[in-house]
Amino acid sequence: MQQTLIFFCQLGALAAFAWTADQVVKICGLPIPGNVLGIIVLFTLLCTGIVKESHISAAAGFLLRHLVFFFVPVAVGLMNWGGVFYDYGWALLAAIVVSAALPLLVVSKLARALRHRPGQGGERQKEEKPCGQ
Amino acid sequence: MWTVTTLLCVAGTLLVYLTINSLYLRYKHPLINVVGLSAAVIIIALLLCDLPYTAYEPAKDIMTALMGAATVSLALPLYRFRKLLLRDAAAILCSVGAGAFTAMFSAGLMVQMGGLPREVAMSILSKGVSIPFAVQLASIYDGVPSLAAAFVVATGTLGSLLGAWSLDCIRDTAPFSRGLTLGTVSHGQGVAAALQENEEAGAMAGLAMILAGILTAVFAPGVVWLLRILA
Repeated sequence: MQQTLIFFCQLGALAAFAWTADQVVKICGLPIPGNVLGIIVLFTLLCTGIVKESHISAAAGFLLRHLVFFFVPVAVGLMNWGGVFYDYGWALLAAIVVSAALPLLVVSKLARALRHRPGQGGERQKEEKPCGQ
Repeated sequence: MWTVTTLLCVAGTLLVYLTINSLYLRYKHPLINVVGLSAAVIIIALLLCDLPYTAYEPAKDIMTALMGAATVSLALPLYRFRKLLLRDAAAILCSVGAGAFTAMFSAGLMVQMGGLPREVAMSILSKGVSIPFAVQLASIYDGVPSLAAAFVVATGTLGSLLGAWSLDCIRDTAPFSRGLTLGTVSHGQGVAAALQENEEAGAMAGLAMILAGILTAVFAPGVVWLLRILA
């Protein structure tokens, strides 16, 4: 019972936080989306210890486990665009596939090349654990 | 409005999602794509019931009400991996920046070469970033915001369908680079796909998504200029 209450309090706090970030972006006319500002501010609050991990972890863990759910209703919106994709056909499909495949190669290769500096590969593997748990 | 249709749409979407998600968790097969399959089932159901998307939209608004809270929660995995992020800041920034530029430029160039109208080219530039950002960018550069949103969804769905498989094909097994790639190439859906793999990949993908969003806005004027010269 108490666990459930804590969960919903955390959920409410996160929702209020996201809403506030959205409003700040709108009012100040910042050139970034509200959720990006929200992530940056919440990350800063966590790093400075103003917000503790335990304050949000129950609700945040649940939301992150089901993050894909939120994109299901958004993806359903594609049904409206059948016509556009039908008219422009292959050019659009090719553009979308190629412009996803090229950066995929670029990011993956660069990330691995830049990160594995000589002599450090071995030790690094061990340090790849989440900190602050 | 809380009509019966809306309630049925919400209940139906939840049911479809929970069924497909439990199938995915049971078999972990890459072809069981939660977003793609669920959306396909729902679209087919709507078409069979002769319902237009506008009938589904109120349900979508209700279900995505917590999307902001969910996205903001990404700060938690970022925080847990903060040391990793700081130490590899240069590698992360370079690879995500190069990826964001490649995505914009190749998409814009191909659409332009395919002879499509200019506003389509301007709408596809922001296809790699999350929807609110893409819509804003499209309207700045005379694109069509709704078309931009469609490209974002298409790219995200493609990334979550084939991203992990493509990375397997190029033998990328490190959670670090897999996460960065998924987040850069297909924003929120890539992050979700990376989170399904493990927490480190999820954290890197979340960071890559944020950086890609910011860097895409920074590169946009340059890419638009380049495309104009090449046209």
